[in-house]
Amino acid sequence: MTAQNQSTQNLIDISILTTAIKNGLIVVVGMSVIVLVLLGVFKPILASVQVVESVTTSISQFLILIIPFIAYIMSGSSVRSIVKDRPLQAIVVSVITTFILFAVISTGHFILKLGTFAPTSSIQMTFVDEDEGIRVESVEAGGAADEAGVQVGDLIIALRRDPIDRSGLMAQVAQAQVDTPLRLRMMRDDEEIQVTVRTVLADASDVAGLLPSLVVAVAVTLIAIIWPAQITPYVILLTILAPLLLGYIWLVIATFSTRTEGILPLDGQGNIGGFTLENWNFLWGGDIVGLNVSIWQITLNSLVIALSMTVIVLLVSSMAGYALSRMDFRGRKLFLSFTLILHGFPAVTLLIPIFFVIANLGRIPIVGEFIGFNKSVGIALVMVAFELPLGVWLMKGFFDGIPWDIERSAMIDGASRWRVYWEILLPQIRPGLLALGIFAFLGGWNAFLIPKTYSTGAGTVNLPVFLSQLIDETAPVNWNQVAAVGLFQLIPVFVIFIFAQEYLLNIYAGGTKGSS
Amino acid sequence: MQVKIESLTKKFGNVVGVEDINLDIKDGEFVAFLGPSGCGKTTTLLMLAGIYKPTEGYIRFDDRIVNQVPPRERNIGMVFQSYALYPHMTVFGNISYPLKLKNVPKKEQSERVSRVADVMGIGGLLDRRPGQLSGGQQQRVALGRALVKEPDVLLFDEPLSNLDARLRLTMRGEIKHLQKELGITSIYVTHDQVEAMTMADRIAVMSGGHLQAFDSPEEVYDRPKTLFVAGFVGNPPMNLVTVEVSHSDGKYIAQNSSLKVEVPAERGKQPAAHNGDVTMGIRPEDVSITADGELDGQIFVVEPLGREDLIDVRIGDNSILLLADPEANHKAGENVKVHMDMTQIQFFDPKTEKSLLWT
Repeated sequence: MTAQNQSTQNLIDISILTTAIKNGLIVVVGMSVIVLVLLGVFKPILASVQVVESVTTSISQFLILIIPFIAYIMSGSSVRSIVKDRPLQAIVVSVITTFILFAVISTGHFILKLGTFAPTSSIQMTFVDEDEGIRVESVEAGGAADEAGVQVGDLIIALRRDPIDRSGLMAQVAQAQVDTPLRLRMMRDDEEIQVTVRTVLADASDVAGLLPSLVVAVAVTLIAIIWPAQITPYVILLTILAPLLLGYIWLVIATFSTRTEGILPLDGQGNIGGFTLENWNFLWGGDIVGLNVSIWQITLNSLVIALSMTVIVLLVSSMAGYALSRMDFRGRKLFLSFTLILHGFPAVTLLIPIFFVIANLGRIPIVGEFIGFNKSVGIALVMVAFELPLGVWLMKGFFDGIPWDIERSAMIDGASRWRVYWEILLPQIRPGLLALGIFAFLGGWNAFLIPKTYSTGAGTVNLPVFLSQLIDETAPVNWNQVAAVGLFQLIPVFVIFIFAQEYLLNIYAGGTKGSS
Repeated sequence: MQVKIESLTKKFGNVVGVEDINLDIKDGEFVAFLGPSGCGKTTTLLMLAGIYKPTEGYIRFDDRIVNQVPPRERNIGMVFQSYALYPHMTVFGNISYPLKLKNVPKKEQSERVSRVADVMGIGGLLDRRPGQLSGGQQQRVALGRALVKEPDVLLFDEPLSNLDARLRLTMRGEIKHLQKELGITSIYVTHDQVEAMTMADRIAVMSGGHLQAFDSPEEVYDRPKTLFVAGFVGNPPMNLVTVEVSHSDGKYIAQNSSLKVEVPAERGKQPAAHNGDVTMGIRPEDVSITADGELDGQIFVVEPLGREDLIDVRIGDNSILLLADPEANHKAGENVKVHMDMTQIQFFDPKTEKSLLWT
């Protein structure tokens, strides 16, 4: 090996370079083959059996778009192994690889008319910004503008009725589909004329457009080299979560502003700002969209439903669960399977039959005042009935996890069956009870379908139903106020989730032994 | 408290748990229920406790029929294999629970609990939770809880099975000593024949839901009434060989194709009178390798046990286990002369599996 080769060797490790180039080319070629197969094989097959076939087209378009980026990331990843010891060499190798890949890809784009070389909509003229409008600089002979009658020197002042500048017009052209008419208002020799130009698809052999792409390519490569691998899952998670998070952020911002544009709050004049508390007026007795209702009465209804649900579900489920777990009686197995079927039963189908039940319950002399139609406790009873199957099943599962010996020991020690249940067994499943209680409370607090069906008037509506009334029965809907009431309803749920998360996870983990 | 069990039967649907058990347990006696898994000993114990109701038969505590009496009115204490301590209570809470249920005043509760805890050696653990105790400590808490109410009958359901071997040894002695001191009638279920032999005044051997024998340890060991008892009790187990016993010239000879021994008259009469083959049994400690042994055999394998060697000797196609002095240094393949102590020989009817010598 000559001295010259040795010095080159020090700077560029040929083997790593070739590996990087090879990896990058494999990506490009491989993905291109996939696209070819999609378009050449799958698309015709699917197109013959479907009216509209767009899946393969979309997928292949997506793949074409990301092939370059994947290639650059590959070239950056290939040198990660040596970046710690020989950083300079790593950067040089990866940049060279990127250049080579970029050349290959760009040549491919040029030949296939993709990427920067893809035909775009254009009106085939050039123009510059001037104070009063856009001055036409040159018009392509035979092009769209020429055919429409645009002449050099014309001053474009507006597109339809909106004044426009250069960037605006370019944006309009870019967004337009092919053959879209653009009604331009122009001044020619101090005379206002209207010209309609239709966009066409024109080749864009704009080599200058390659430079930004090249910069992006190198940037992607460098990022791929230094990317800490362990944050990749978090990045992916955050990206997926971003829409959700944005939704919640909007919710909070909306409650404190009169109007929002996207997630930015606006005041009356349309400027950013406009922080206001008027949406929260309902908390201290203000009008909600002109209705004179007390939010606290409605909250009380919600609370009554939620609390009675919790108490009754816990009591009944734990006792039923104990009986099913420990006692043998005829029909026990049948009852268990029935419980499971009931849990999956859609509540909606039973709404009308239950209406008859609850209406007739209201005719019972004294008790009927509380449990009839349009009464909070009655609604709570219906909700309890729908929650019980799950509750019983869960409780039985928890009791099954307690060994028989503990009960036997307690019975021998002198406890009656009830004392065994109350003093020995229930403390064992305390976490399970807590989880079921929270579950039932939240179910009652958020209950919508059943309260909506069985309550009329402000006397018995609960928060979710009230929210729906705000949306359905007002026009125009004051979304910020809706957001405020919604956030108000969300607060207890939020608090419970923060403090009781691990107990809730216990339930979702299958209702087995509740203790940690 | 005397405990009488009369014709006790328990069926679970069509499955027979125990059938026709008859036992007469004296006041202050320590009785062991011994048998393999599934023999019905725990079922019987739970019927004594009142957890299971008998299908047929009676249980009497001091002549009073208690079949329908619920567990809490029987004044019994029970120690479970899993200890069954209440995890959400402290040790003090666990031990005092029976007293609390009887509405004993707090001061007296405290006194009695500390007394029992001192006896069990756990006086310093009263504030801990069961989860913070070792297995042996939990066992003592369970025992203390059973004793604190001064029961008439103590029931044990394999209490030492979950302890390590060393601890089992110490606890065995402690439980036996405690029982002798307190004089409470105790019934102890176990599958470990060593436990039964060392601790019990009498052993009830059970198998397949039936009672096989109910005798003192010596009786069960030296004069087993059934083949099952003979094979179950004693470690290493008894050697069993099929022979035919014949009577000629005033001598009783037991022989099969490859061995022949003379049987003393008092043991040979019944098997000789029996038609056909009988099962002959001799314990390994009653067989020895001596220079003037009457049988010829070849050593198949030597297992050193430390205190003695367990040697498998092949006499023809009979495999005989015997215990020998390690000093003699026997090796596999050696040809030896074997002597059986015929005063200890046992004979069983191969069909009924009952002993031909003892009833």
